[in-house]
Amino acid sequence: MDDDLTALEITVNGKRRSATVDRRELLIEALRNRFGVTGPKIGCLTGDCGACTVRLDGLITKSCLRIAVAEDGAEIETLESMSTNGLTGLQESFWDNNAFQCGYCLSGMLFAAEDLLDHNPTPDEDEIRQAISGNLCRCTGYDAIVTAIKRYAERVAESDRRQ
Amino acid sequence: MEVGLRTAGKSVGRPVRKHDGDAYLTANATYTGDIVLPGTVYAALVRAPLAHALIRSVSTAAAEGATGVIAVVTGEDMIPWCDEIPHGLDAGHLGGHHSAVFPLAVEKVVYAGEPIAAVVATSEADAHAACLMVEVDYEPLPVLLDVESALAADAPILYPAWAENVLIEGHVGNDDFAEVARTAPHVLEGELRTHRGTAAPMEPRTYLADWDAGRQHLTLYASTQNPHVLRTVLAAAMRLREDQIHVVAPKVGGSFGLKMYGSREDFIAPVLARMVGRPVSWVEERAASLLPAAREQVLSYRVAFDDDGGLLALDVEALTDHGAAAPTHGWAMAYVGALSTGLGYAIEHCHVHYRVVVTNKAPWSGTKPFGKDGATLLLERIMERVAAATGVDAGTVRRRNFVAPSAFPYRHTSGLELDSGDYAAALDQTLEILSHERLRADQARLRAQGRYLGIGLGFELMPESADIPGGFVAAYDTSTVRMSPSGRVSVLTGVTSPGTGSDTGICQLVADELGVALDTVSVVQGDTDTCPYGFGNISSRSLVTGGNAAVLAARDVADKIRAAARALLRADYDEPVLIEDGIARLTRDPSRSVSVVEAARAVYTRSYELELDVEPHLESTRTYRPSNIREVPDALGRMQTYTTYPYAVHASVVEVDVETGVVTLLRHVATHDCGTVVNPLMVDGQVTGGVVMGLGAAFSEELVFDDDGIPLTTGFKTYLLPRAVDVPRVELGHLCTPAPGTPLGAKGVGEAGFAGALAAAFNAVNDAVAPLGARLDRTPLSPIAIMRALREARR
Repeated sequence: MDDDLTALEITVNGKRRSATVDRRELLIEALRNRFGVTGPKIGCLTGDCGACTVRLDGLITKSCLRIAVAEDGAEIETLESMSTNGLTGLQESFWDNNAFQCGYCLSGMLFAAEDLLDHNPTPDEDEIRQAISGNLCRCTGYDAIVTAIKRYAERVAESDRRQ
Repeated sequence: MEVGLRTAGKSVGRPVRKHDGDAYLTANATYTGDIVLPGTVYAALVRAPLAHALIRSVSTAAAEGATGVIAVVTGEDMIPWCDEIPHGLDAGHLGGHHSAVFPLAVEKVVYAGEPIAAVVATSEADAHAACLMVEVDYEPLPVLLDVESALAADAPILYPAWAENVLIEGHVGNDDFAEVARTAPHVLEGELRTHRGTAAPMEPRTYLADWDAGRQHLTLYASTQNPHVLRTVLAAAMRLREDQIHVVAPKVGGSFGLKMYGSREDFIAPVLARMVGRPVSWVEERAASLLPAAREQVLSYRVAFDDDGGLLALDVEALTDHGAAAPTHGWAMAYVGALSTGLGYAIEHCHVHYRVVVTNKAPWSGTKPFGKDGATLLLERIMERVAAATGVDAGTVRRRNFVAPSAFPYRHTSGLELDSGDYAAALDQTLEILSHERLRADQARLRAQGRYLGIGLGFELMPESADIPGGFVAAYDTSTVRMSPSGRVSVLTGVTSPGTGSDTGICQLVADELGVALDTVSVVQGDTDTCPYGFGNISSRSLVTGGNAAVLAARDVADKIRAAARALLRADYDEPVLIEDGIARLTRDPSRSVSVVEAARAVYTRSYELELDVEPHLESTRTYRPSNIREVPDALGRMQTYTTYPYAVHASVVEVDVETGVVTLLRHVATHDCGTVVNPLMVDGQVTGGVVMGLGAAFSEELVFDDDGIPLTTGFKTYLLPRAVDVPRVELGHLCTPAPGTPLGAKGVGEAGFAGALAAAFNAVNDAVAPLGARLDRTPLSPIAIMRALREARR
């Protein structure tokens, strides 16, 4: 119904975009259906699994817990923007350590890991587990993800020490 | 026992990373839900709010007039478009009962959440909104929610034509317990209850169906494990020819059995697409994807044993709470559980009577590790009880009963024939990693301080790569290896990978057989128009079946490269050629060589220079059919229906807070043997993932219903998957006894970890509370269950 439709303008991965969205639409739905951004996935729509995690105005958030029209004017980054200049060191570490199997949780896990390292560049294993505990993974049993984050952080710390 | 890799090549045996990992990392891995077709409309389902009721009437008028609605379809409306769903394994053909199931319920609902109508609309939101406007008049019927009520003499009959609430029952092994027990030094009996759980992959079942009315042709993108077989059953029920259907399985976001072919949900989008003439997208909501279930059983056992803990006889009465009947293989988990009971232990008299009981809950549906979990938990519980009764150490009891390496091939009473392994060595390695003796000393010290540490063992033996005679589950599969004129290699295979990594493994195998670099090889799977007919991923089979087939096909292609090299080098037809690092060299004079690329090009462009019996194409399709399967039953009705027998010994260390019932998982160790390891990175990933899923089943994942049979676990706030903080790092040990009689020596690994972890955790908690006289004989090991056991012990 036309009453349900409204204009939304947001910045997605550095590009100003606009679309007509349904007022009922969640941010994740708008990103996927209106803007063709499929990096974030839908796993639960209740904020439990974290597969839909994106960066919104610099902070990571579960995009299924936000109504699209409420985010008018927001700047959003998704998995699509992470490797603009080639894979990041963190991404390489995920790949090297087999930190994703089916890949469905990958986008959310990478954002959770990035966020952790932004705040704590040298996390221990418990801190890493805590940081990714808002995100569910059914394939890996988490160990490979923890290893990927830990090894990457250690490598960065090592190269910082050398400089 | 480290036997070493049978196939040690440039890439086989090495921790090669996922061959297409960059696609995932750059958001270029396409899942079904990422595909957009112009003009797509969206389906949503009206689901029964009652667990058992007659459908008196369905009124669709209001919904039909709602915003964006294109069609409202009831069960009756769909009948002309779709026959009853073909059974994966029809209990009615095996001495049980047949059930007729349609995509949407007709006349009667038998579980809450059963789909009774579908709405198709121009948006998902409109489709869901209109579902609420479909008015259904139900006449409630009495509800059966457990096996005891369903088997009671006065129980209402769920399927009146059957005259009982048992879908199927059967015996595995000889019923001779009483005879052995008469003279046995000890007999114990007990009951073990396992709870209802589910697969819960992160991606729910997702479909996009495109019906082309002009061509009378269906293209279906589906998050399925078995695209070819799905095509076969779709064609049968929709009265189409198989060549009118193209099934594509893009990237699949985990499956764990939920996405096996032939569920009613598989038919929703295809049939609706044909009815409305537009592409239809249907994505199962999370609450609905938590309906299909597994694991819920009541296992009553009697065991006879000697003074040393040697098992003499075992008798099991296995009642399965299946929920409603279904066309999928779900019930077969009860049968596989019976086949696997006692497997790996040398028990001469082992008998299981299994009964699959129907109740008003959603049906059992294939779930990792397919019924072997209950059998494992039962035996490992029994081992602990026998140890306690005899005073023999729990590890020693297992060692005394293990089938010895010298006994292979060893035929279990169920007919399954074990081929290789060293179970005691796995136990030794696990105890060593654990520092078992020191841990026991810690335990004693802590107990003196009022802290309750528990240590538990769990031996799992998983029959893998199943074969169902007459069914679309086969121990064989087919792969094509194709090399282009520029030396690029494509493997097209009938097996699929929902992220497990078998595709990467297949690339490694083929690269080594052809002596080429790994990055020249790619794998195509999950497409019925391009890949050979195959059975997809189930039963940990993809690498064993598709991988072995690819090895055979790659050897054919390598032979042609050798022939072309001989022709180009003007060598004799019997001159041996070695291919390595992309170069084909004469073995006797390595200075004479051509590149594989040159040789490949020559096959296509200089065919008249080749030996006459070499056909000028670079492609081979081969099927690997293992030699150890016996589909013809012996005099006792026993078959040998599994290809490989991987195993593991697990140990869990827990601390139980006896004031709150809260369990802290301190350590988990697993020593695993899947024969030849093609890729240790992927194998470790499979085992670790399985362990954590097993720990989830042990402690937190439970499908719960209210007294009327309405599911209370409708999302991840109530159905609690383990999170990263809930589990310790899994400590892995490895053994390698290659599968004999196979080109590769690899054993299935896809279901590894779950059952042994569940059993070890169960035994660990029991070990922790044993000094307080408490005992748990049911799962899950929730704080409430533990507090109840402790309270009962105090009484």
